[in-house]
Amino acid sequence: MTGELSAGALFAEAGRQLTVCNACRYCEGYCAVFPALELRRALTEGDITHLADLCHDCRACYTACMYAPPHEFAIDPPAVLSAVRRDTYDRYLPRLPAGRATTIAVTGLGALVILAACATAGGTSAAVPGSPYRVIGYPALLAAAGLAIAWGLAITGWAARRYWRDTGGRATLAGLAAAAGQAATLRNLRGGGADCAYPGDEPSPWRRRLHHLVAGGFGLCTASTVAAAVSQDVLGDPPPYPVLSVPVLLGVLGGAGLTAGCAGLLRLRSRSDPYRTDGLMSSRTRSLLLALLVLSVTGLLTLLLRGTVAFAPVLVIHLVAVTACFAIAPYTKFVHVIFRFLALVHDRSEAGLAD
Amino acid sequence: MTWDVVVIGGGNAGLVAAIAARQRGRRVLLLERAGAAMRGGNTRHTRNARCASAEYPADELWADLRGVGPPGPLARLTVERSAEVPDWMTAHGVRWQRPLAGTLHLGRTNRFFLGGGKALVNTYHRSAAALGVEVRYGACVTDLAVDGPGGTEVVLDGGERLGARAVVCASGGFEANLDWLRRYWGEAADGFLVRGCRENDGRVLAALLARGAATAGQERGFHCVAIDARAPRFDGGIATRLDSIPFSVVVNADGRRFYDEGEDLWPKRYAIWGRNVAGQPGQVAYSLWDAKVNERFLPPMYGPATAPDLPALAGLLGLDPAAVAATVKEYNAAVRPGAFDPSRLDDCATEGLDPPKSHWALPLDTPPYYGIALRPGITFTYLGVRVDSAARVLDAGGRPLGSVFAAGEIMSGNILSSGYLAGFGVTIGHVWGRIAGEAAAS
Repeated sequence: MTGELSAGALFAEAGRQLTVCNACRYCEGYCAVFPALELRRALTEGDITHLADLCHDCRACYTACMYAPPHEFAIDPPAVLSAVRRDTYDRYLPRLPAGRATTIAVTGLGALVILAACATAGGTSAAVPGSPYRVIGYPALLAAAGLAIAWGLAITGWAARRYWRDTGGRATLAGLAAAAGQAATLRNLRGGGADCAYPGDEPSPWRRRLHHLVAGGFGLCTASTVAAAVSQDVLGDPPPYPVLSVPVLLGVLGGAGLTAGCAGLLRLRSRSDPYRTDGLMSSRTRSLLLALLVLSVTGLLTLLLRGTVAFAPVLVIHLVAVTACFAIAPYTKFVHVIFRFLALVHDRSEAGLAD
Repeated sequence: MTWDVVVIGGGNAGLVAAIAARQRGRRVLLLERAGAAMRGGNTRHTRNARCASAEYPADELWADLRGVGPPGPLARLTVERSAEVPDWMTAHGVRWQRPLAGTLHLGRTNRFFLGGGKALVNTYHRSAAALGVEVRYGACVTDLAVDGPGGTEVVLDGGERLGARAVVCASGGFEANLDWLRRYWGEAADGFLVRGCRENDGRVLAALLARGAATAGQERGFHCVAIDARAPRFDGGIATRLDSIPFSVVVNADGRRFYDEGEDLWPKRYAIWGRNVAGQPGQVAYSLWDAKVNERFLPPMYGPATAPDLPALAGLLGLDPAAVAATVKEYNAAVRPGAFDPSRLDDCATEGLDPPKSHWALPLDTPPYYGIALRPGITFTYLGVRVDSAARVLDAGGRPLGSVFAAGEIMSGNILSSGYLAGFGVTIGHVWGRIAGEAAAS
């Protein structure tokens, strides 16, 4: 299995398979990977990394491949490119000791920070019942969340810079715009119109639809937070906000989308073929989905329970989850957003320059 | 239990026949010799269909078909019915894509299905399953007992007998049967590779012939291209092909040229090179090119041999360096300057050379030099059973052989003689699969 190969052997195997693909070319209608491959003859490690991150794992090529195992050519792009993506994430982001212990430690640390911040509650004026500032002080909350976010951005920014350099990335304005369009529509999860072969070998639109729910939900939750900040700091209207207000409506919609999307993707994942995805990548995907699920469910609960005694503990749990998630984001599947978007910008710019 | 229709073979001809018969209300069983993962026969290796259309009139397709050899008695019917094929495919779930890179010249004449032949097979299996066609995998048919009690009996290799009111044989040619090829090619057959699937050993064809079916097509008729000599014995498909020939000098094992590498545009000539190489000593040839043209064609799957000079390259390929050097020297001296243009029949030609290189002739003079050994790679054989216009298998007297029908490569000898036209195999499978399926259902 590709998961057990050393990095050198992994790139050699990916190069072998992609060379067969480049001589065949039947899959070029499916996604951006194959046309990009055709612009290259000798594949460097940077090329292979770029192609791996351009792959959205729709698996259409695998189901269409007459050379897939048990054929002796043993072509399986989704599996080998998934293993290369794991290499990418490990290469460009500082490794953490595996999984659960780290998550517990970071969550514990987040809990300590948030609980300490709670000691400053009441520091802000006008903290009416249902306001978060009866539970936690605003400056302390800002500091805790801000630090976590700044840390995440710094780490991923550093990784993105080195990734861009190593994959020979180049960007044009038109390429950037086209990449944003493809990212927003998940064009490369469409299988050229045939849809994803996920979770089984039959084409299905559900992975793309659920991903839209997750991404859209995450975007709306972010917008809700921004709207609340604007209401409070620009318009001078402190929380809590009524149900029919911009922050609450955005938050409810976003939270519902995120919850449904994460739950759906977790269900699809449990039914998918484990051999198509690198094992560690698959467990990282699961971790990210579970973390987002905790975020969205606790977020919705703070709203539902804000008039009750449960409000304070649920809010603390939600804030701990937010802090911990942002702190560990650079080490989870969350970073696929960065690498895949950079690969799309590279690809769309390159395609534009080639025309 | 007796089936209304048993279809032998799960390539495009068999799937189309099964779907067509099922749509007429018949109970249909499809026998696929391979397991589920390798289902689809040679169709797995296809990617397009050549069909008449408003942009590509039937008369033009007919002229193109005549251009590759004398057409068989059912060729004209095939050309005319081909116009119905794309709509039928679309109606059964097939998706289309732009012509693949390197095939832009086929954009008007050939329609490319998304993802190629295995995707097509998956689509038709989905369609067949939705309609209620039953499929049995790993089913190897060894014999047909024509006109037994209750119709025709299909005999499987375990001895099981399946009763059928009608049988459609869509089980391909015999290209994977080396002994059979040896009958017509002698020892040369040992030097052939099979691009098509390993299951096509001609068992059903042999059974039909033994039961009195008349033959159609030439014994040596086949679709055969020059492929990388390192390709596997069976099932190498498209990735083992090599498009270097018009850009290169091709020599045989003696280091001598033997055919005009630049005779015509590659898509019109690629299919004669299998036969060309089959006629050379040891059934092997060597395509040699230099740095000037190295990126002009699709990259070969196994990569070329590379050397800084010609003698070293000849050595790597196991050729006599002196013989290769002499051939290239003579060739280079005969090359006349011209405006090199791979997209048309350009004026880069040799003068006073035998055989000539009529187009795209450039001197072999820029290191590094590249070379690949080539062998004939057979896709499918043409010799098959004779059928009438309703796809009924006929005996030597021209009478139908019970209720047995044939479609696809097993009856391609009624249409093709020696040459091949890209994309026409899928057209034959679809046209005759439909004719056979509908006839078997009525």
